[in-house]
Amino acid sequence: MAESQRYQNRIEIRQGTLDLLILQTLARGQQHGHGISQVIRARSGELLSVETGSLYPALHRLEKKGWLDSEWKASENNQRAKYYSLTKAGRKQLVAEHDKWRQLVQAVSGVLDPA
Amino acid sequence: MARNSLRLLLRRFFQRRELERELNDELASHIAIETARHIQDGESPEAARQIALREFGNVGLVAEVTRDQWGLGWLEQAFADLRYSVRSFLRAPLFSAIVVITLGLGIGSSTTIFSLLDGILLRALPFSNSNQLTVLWELPPQTRKPNVVNLSNFVAWRERNHSFQSMAAFLASPMNLLGDRGGEQVPGLSVTADFFETLGTQPLLGRTFRPGEYWTSEPREVVLSYGAWQRLFGGRPDVVGKKISIDASHHEVIGVMPSGFSLPNHKAELYVPQAIEINEGRNYTVIARLRPGVSPDAANAEMAALAAQTAREKVHMDAGWSAIAVPLLEQTVGSVRPILLLLFAAVGLMLLLACANVANLLMMRASGRVREFSVRLALGASRHRIVRQLLIESLLLAMCGGLLGVIVGGIAIQFLKTSLPESLHIPRLNEVTLNWAVLLYSTGTSILSALIFGLAPALQSLKRNVSQGLHEATRSVTSGRKVRRVLVIAEIAFALVLVSTAGLMVRSFIRLTSVDTGFHAENVLTARMLLLPVQKEEYRAETVRQMLDRIRALPGVVRAGSIGILPMEGTNSGTAYYRADRPDPAPNARPGGDVSIITPGYFEAMRIPMIHGRAFDVEDRVGSPPVAILNQSAAQMLFPDEDAVGKRLRVQWGGGGTPLVEVVGVAADIRHDGVSTPPDPCLFMPNDQQPFPFTSLVVRTTGNPANLENELREQIRAVDSDQGIATMEPLQQMVSDSIARPRLETVVLAAFGVIALGLACIGLYGLIAFSVAQRIREIGIRVALGASKAGIFRMILGDGLRLTVVGVLLGLAGVVSSTRFLRSLLYEVNPLDPATLVSVICILLVVSAAACYIPALRATNADPASILREE
Repeated sequence: MAESQRYQNRIEIRQGTLDLLILQTLARGQQHGHGISQVIRARSGELLSVETGSLYPALHRLEKKGWLDSEWKASENNQRAKYYSLTKAGRKQLVAEHDKWRQLVQAVSGVLDPA
Repeated sequence: MARNSLRLLLRRFFQRRELERELNDELASHIAIETARHIQDGESPEAARQIALREFGNVGLVAEVTRDQWGLGWLEQAFADLRYSVRSFLRAPLFSAIVVITLGLGIGSSTTIFSLLDGILLRALPFSNSNQLTVLWELPPQTRKPNVVNLSNFVAWRERNHSFQSMAAFLASPMNLLGDRGGEQVPGLSVTADFFETLGTQPLLGRTFRPGEYWTSEPREVVLSYGAWQRLFGGRPDVVGKKISIDASHHEVIGVMPSGFSLPNHKAELYVPQAIEINEGRNYTVIARLRPGVSPDAANAEMAALAAQTAREKVHMDAGWSAIAVPLLEQTVGSVRPILLLLFAAVGLMLLLACANVANLLMMRASGRVREFSVRLALGASRHRIVRQLLIESLLLAMCGGLLGVIVGGIAIQFLKTSLPESLHIPRLNEVTLNWAVLLYSTGTSILSALIFGLAPALQSLKRNVSQGLHEATRSVTSGRKVRRVLVIAEIAFALVLVSTAGLMVRSFIRLTSVDTGFHAENVLTARMLLLPVQKEEYRAETVRQMLDRIRALPGVVRAGSIGILPMEGTNSGTAYYRADRPDPAPNARPGGDVSIITPGYFEAMRIPMIHGRAFDVEDRVGSPPVAILNQSAAQMLFPDEDAVGKRLRVQWGGGGTPLVEVVGVAADIRHDGVSTPPDPCLFMPNDQQPFPFTSLVVRTTGNPANLENELREQIRAVDSDQGIATMEPLQQMVSDSIARPRLETVVLAAFGVIALGLACIGLYGLIAFSVAQRIREIGIRVALGASKAGIFRMILGDGLRLTVVGVLLGLAGVVSSTRFLRSLLYEVNPLDPATLVSVICILLVVSAAACYIPALRATNADPASILREE
């Protein structure tokens, strides 16, 4: 019961948005898939939760596009994990996406809350 | 970024399995980290893992949606198709092996012939601007067959022409080289000073002759070939300035030519300068280099004009003579072009046959796979995808076939280069290699053949629709029958063309071997040599006489004599001789023919009978009346209705004189020029009276002539230890070598014919067997309705034979249309020889009947009850 409650409170993330969140998370340093979902959940005040079924396809898609790079490393508690990091192209993409997002937010709030 | 994507792409392509494992590891590590987090929160390891797994969701599904992101590029799809193809071929190994071997033989044989074509006909000769190089010949008044050149004409051409940058004359001759082990004779060229400049090749060491030098034969210098440098001096770099003894005089080595340098068809070890001696003899070959921009035709026209000039100036010598310019490449390879083109056409046809068979096999296989394709279509595969799958399958087969073909070709080329006898005189054989051009050709052929044999089944599969395919899955499709029938008809037609060509060649070759040459070559040993220069010409004759006397005393020697130039080795053609009892004919209307200088004993050793009069004897010597013997043709030409013996002739022979000789005998004709050339008129004169610089000893023995070689060598050395021998071989060998080429052509074409026949047989068998399998239900019904077994048998057999008849008719049309070409290859055999064609047609009918027999038998044994139950 509590479980389903938690899910209902969460907001579903669209694909483009998820990409932006992943890029932004990795802008602070490299991270593995589990870490990325933890960071997004924590920063969003537990509101945004990333399903593994969306996260991993997104990571692989971004890597294929050349925005991410990956390497296998030992994690903080000595687990082997695949760490992703931003490439140069990924950094550019992040800036572009971020700008677009800001414009969208402005535009959407302009519509919702006319001054 | 591009590099990153490429790396990923390559990894996806080549390391798919590793990538899968990495993905599983990645997801597992996620779960492990989550588990660790829950353990830290105080859960038991077991419970922690359960929670982690639950939170993660369906691992398999996550992995799958992630994998989808990798995407299938066209390359990967092709790769997937390829893997699918490999799997499907591995499931039918016999089918795959037959296809690959068929293609391999087809591509291999065409690769072999193409590499010959490339090395011999297509590639430029190894000289700078080799297309400027031209050979000049004189043309005699009557025969107009290219003739060697007179040096004074050469000088006139060189001074007056506007077409050529430079021009050189040369004479090929064995040269007597004196070494530590006595004399030996090696091939050499006497060349005028511009020779090397004309060819445009720089020496490896030292220098070559300088243009404008050597108007006399001094200074005596020599340029070595690379081979001679290695053999005589062990490749020592300080060879320039050393002296070697050539033809009994010392020559200073002034240069060494690079490895591989040689005038085509004139392999030489030594090059010595040739002085320009003005006389009336025609002995020299002339090579010239065209000025840039001058066409061979223009040069040819100028040569004719120049020859017309000299003919006016030197009427007694040049009247009626003309001259031509022939490009060096044409001169070199002209004689082998027809056969190479024929072989190329033959292997082209064979490749087509192979493709047709493979197409046939693939189409049958495709028909058997209707259900598979229908299922794939029903499951959403696009038609496009299935056609591509089929084409990739053909490409894969073609590539395997091509690989096998290149291997087969490589082996065949090596075999040809090492096993073809020197006597075949195939020009430029040493230049034949499996090079890029050839590999490109093979690859192109493979891809093209894949398209040819892959397109038909692919297009056919397009025509079908899903429901029909699924519906008919267990029955057969009859569409494509027509295409398959056309393919088989084409195969039979090709086989007929190849087999009948081979048959004609065999007949022609049998004719060639059964020609009566007029002499008996068995048990005869020959030894050819250039006689060492001596103070007086008579001494040369004396040397030959002494050798022969010693040889005749050997046990096992029946008869011995000598002749200037042996049969099958060439002639002294174009010498004029005419009746002395009539007014001298005009210079351009003088009859003539070959001249042979012989010793007593020659006719006996060769077993050439005297028709009339006597042979030469020891009394025919210097000082006694000059005598001559005519062969029958010459006697017929000069004295058509009279007895030639006792008549006198003038012979345009020697250094300018026209000796008067009396005919003392008439000898039977022989084929001197070659087995296939009818006898020419020939006049014989005794060596003692007209000494000749070359001699070929002809020794008839009681046993195997090869056993006598060492003793013969000893006797020659005993007369003059410096005297080398150019070649020593049984006459039988020379005769057999002279027809080595038609023999090779026959063997190769016969082999192709057999393969083509085999291919056509497999094709027909496959078609009929398949059609029986398809019609087995119909046949079952027919039998059930009361058709007789014999009737069924006739129906199936008739079906196959109808195809054969159509193929045979088409093939006959092919033979008729290539009549003229075939005639150039055949000796005294009509290209439309009825006996050959009828037997070939019979062979094809019998083979076709055999190919249809087994399937027809299967059809007759069909048990209607069980067949109909199966449906």
